Amino acid sequence: MPRKSIFFDIVRISLYQVYCQRRRYLGVVLAIALGTAGFIVIATMGRDVKKNLNADLDLLGGATLIRAYLDPYLPTHKYSKYPEFTLDTIEAMKSLPGVQAVSVIVFKPTAISTFQKEEVAFPLIGADGFFWSVNSFTPVSGSFFNADDVAKRRRVCVLGTRLAKKIFGRTDVVGQQCQIGNESYRVSGILGGVAVGDLVEYGFVPITSAESFVIGLSFRQKAYIRCVGWDDVSKVAAVLPDVVHAHQVTDSLRVDVRWEELKRVQRVAWWVELFIYLSTAATLILGGFGIWNGMMATVKSRKTEIGLKKAMGAEDRDILAQFMIEALSLSFASALLGGFLGRGAMEIVGHLMKSRASDALFFTCVGLALFFSLILGAGAGFYPSLRASRMEVVDALRYE
Amino acid sequence: MHSAMNEIWPHAEPDLPLIEVKGLSHTYNGGTGPIEVLREVCLSVRKGEMVAIMGPSGSGKSTLMSVLGLLMIPSRGIYRVLDRDILKLDRSSQAFFRRTYVGFVFQRCNLVDNCSVYENLEFPLIYAGVKRSERPARIQDALARVNLSQRLHHKANQLSGGEQQRVAIARALVNNPLIVLADEPTGQLDRTHGEQVLDHFEQILAGRDKAVLIVTHDPQVAERCTRVCLLEDGVLKSS
Repeated sequence: MPRKSIFFDIVRISLYQVYCQRRRYLGVVLAIALGTAGFIVIATMGRDVKKNLNADLDLLGGATLIRAYLDPYLPTHKYSKYPEFTLDTIEAMKSLPGVQAVSVIVFKPTAISTFQKEEVAFPLIGADGFFWSVNSFTPVSGSFFNADDVAKRRRVCVLGTRLAKKIFGRTDVVGQQCQIGNESYRVSGILGGVAVGDLVEYGFVPITSAESFVIGLSFRQKAYIRCVGWDDVSKVAAVLPDVVHAHQVTDSLRVDVRWEELKRVQRVAWWVELFIYLSTAATLILGGFGIWNGMMATVKSRKTEIGLKKAMGAEDRDILAQFMIEALSLSFASALLGGFLGRGAMEIVGHLMKSRASDALFFTCVGLALFFSLILGAGAGFYPSLRASRMEVVDALRYE
Repeated sequence: MHSAMNEIWPHAEPDLPLIEVKGLSHTYNGGTGPIEVLREVCLSVRKGEMVAIMGPSGSGKSTLMSVLGLLMIPSRGIYRVLDRDILKLDRSSQAFFRRTYVGFVFQRCNLVDNCSVYENLEFPLIYAGVKRSERPARIQDALARVNLSQRLHHKANQLSGGEQQRVAIARALVNNPLIVLADEPTGQLDRTHGEQVLDHFEQILAGRDKAVLIVTHDPQVAERCTRVCLLEDGVLKSS
């Protein structure tokens, strides 16, 4: 510590010197500020980013999708001939922690569509409004039917691209009427793309409409449960049987999880996450080296000033304090700038992902960043400051 | 240590020599072996004296000044100020000695370029612990003595060589030191300003409690001193 009586004067001198040499430190300040901003964004928006990454990566493998069946052909089955998920069970599944959405479907292996007297056979799915988001499907054209269409039993349908081509000979059929069985449905959207697999040959109608107008449907035996993240899958899969059994009597439940895909996606995500954290840490550590290097250069170029101040009566601890305060103020200012940049980045990411991190979390992160910056500044600035303080007066004055 | 020095020195015997050096030698370790820069130097300076130290380049004048200002510790010898053995002080007390009793005027002005004249003169006051409220008056006073009051807020690098030298002199005097060590103080000044600086040194000595040691090559400067010492090959010969 410098002498108490001159502490504030030394702080003033140090800050003024940092200001005078701001161009020299610009790169270092920016590096630390960017590292800090990165840390703040990861810490505040990490879960939302992970959720979006989940959704994007999931398109490749459906790793966070759990499929639950009530299978009447299981050897253990003995209660109902036609088991199905009750509304209570579905609501209970939806309210499980880690569950994002649940969708239940009914199925008919062969439905018939007639267009210009030509008959086309295809598999038909009766789906609820969540089916599309649960499976991360997006329409090639038009739009999918929604919860309102399901509630009002509207006669709308979605066709896979290959099915549309089979029936109409083309795929731009949004708004056309499509005859399925004895009923006519308006085509609201077209489903296609690589991610949907063989569903391009399927037709889809609201589950309520299917149950009202289609004969020969399965019962509500199949449910898709979309988890929030990879970490939630195993937990949800573990409690799912208990939840189902708590709400209905059944012995035919089968839960399918794509464990292999899940592990792969988790591994990729772990590496991505590690890479981001390492990059942030590397940026901050490099910033620390930058301060160290900058301070060493500063001490060398200001040898005369150091010698002069010692000749005027500055003690070793006064010089040590001056250079330590310079290093600390640099790292502190960098972290503060990083806080502002982080806030900006947080707002942008939040806007893009339509979510917002809490202010308390943000300020905690800024506090942590400032604390870490002080450690960084002290660590990086100590040796150069010590060298400056130990410099012999005559050697320093003779430097020029 | 500092308080002990404060207590002892004001009550020191008035007849004691201010500076007393005996058998002072200093050896550098040069590339070709040890070089003896000062050899058995003996010097006694009383209060009120202005001593000129002359000699050819490389004779050890600046080294002697550095030793007298405690900027370096000699290889051997005795150095007393008011009968106190200065060479036995620890580093912190050496700094206290420099900020309280010594004013330096260096050969090169050695101002902090990116600071104003005011800030350059403020440094010695800061390290001496002078209250902020007292500083402006003392700085103004020191600058007025070298006729540079109008340059108070100019940056050091905006001044001419002569002005920088005068600021360096004002800085050496701002703490009202007991000993002024000046290495070629008038080297960069014209005759008029050089005379003014020497006038000012004489004013300082009028109080009879201080001493000025000047390293110079200028015989006219030496003429105005009370005593001239000649340093040749590290050996001091008093006039």
